[in-house]
Amino acid sequence: MAVSLRESVQLVSDPRNLDASVEEVFRLMLGVNCWRVPGPIVQEQESVTAVVGFGGVLSGACVFKSGSSTAIRIAAHMTGMEFSEVDDTVKDGIGELCNMLAGAWKGKVPELAANCGLSVPAVITGRDYHLHVQAPEFKLDHAYRFDDASFAVTIICDGLQ
Amino acid sequence: MREIRTLIVDDSSVMRKIVERSLRQAGLDQMVVYEACNGAEGLDVLKSKNVDLILSDINMPSMDGLEFLRQIRAQNLAQGVPVVMITTESSEEHVKQAIMAGARGYIRKPFTAEQVKERVLPLVNAA
Repeated sequence: MAVSLRESVQLVSDPRNLDASVEEVFRLMLGVNCWRVPGPIVQEQESVTAVVGFGGVLSGACVFKSGSSTAIRIAAHMTGMEFSEVDDTVKDGIGELCNMLAGAWKGKVPELAANCGLSVPAVITGRDYHLHVQAPEFKLDHAYRFDDASFAVTIICDGLQ
Repeated sequence: MREIRTLIVDDSSVMRKIVERSLRQAGLDQMVVYEACNGAEGLDVLKSKNVDLILSDINMPSMDGLEFLRQIRAQNLAQGVPVVMITTESSEEHVKQAIMAGARGYIRKPFTAEQVKERVLPLVNAA
């Protein structure tokens, strides 16, 4: 029988799944506690955004965004290394972080875990850019803090079978 | 503990560093590490190096981890060497596919060094 998530959309779009996923990834891979806060995140001149796509019974994306200094701190926590700028290793780290966030989130719903794949991460750096998604089925757009840094994680679903 | 030759296959250089660090924290401090960024590169390493342990991601460009596993068997490479998958894919179906393809262990990302120790050390000690 074909799997359908249409009847499970409330379960799939439950914001607590995203919060639990973010907290788990940051605790296990960075060793820091983070918590959800009212948005928006603290803006920096330069920002780093990672995108991991979903395909299968759910199509959409997981988007991670932070300022560049926050991205550097995250990469330092992940690797134990020091960085003075957003270099290729920092970008790789943020991409992998987004990959783990996407995987942890989709793992919260068994039908999604088994029937939805992840793309390889794409990482964008720069200033003054905005991500626009046309008419999503649903969108979860949360801001979080760890120490004195903030970041945003967005789940966009543009199609649900 | 004897020197362990380990192949880590993941398209993320950061994740390869994290896996190596976790293995050393787990007690494998006498370790030589080879790295590959996808399954095809992993096969190239195995054709020229003897290893005692392989850890591989599943979702990678060029050749994913499951195909890498199948090719290890098909090409008679690294015979008897335990392969542990380290991946974001968490469904029972993915675990089953990996085990059927020849994986001896499965670690879901995100993970702790303790989880790596629990899943990997018994395989290394049994060899």
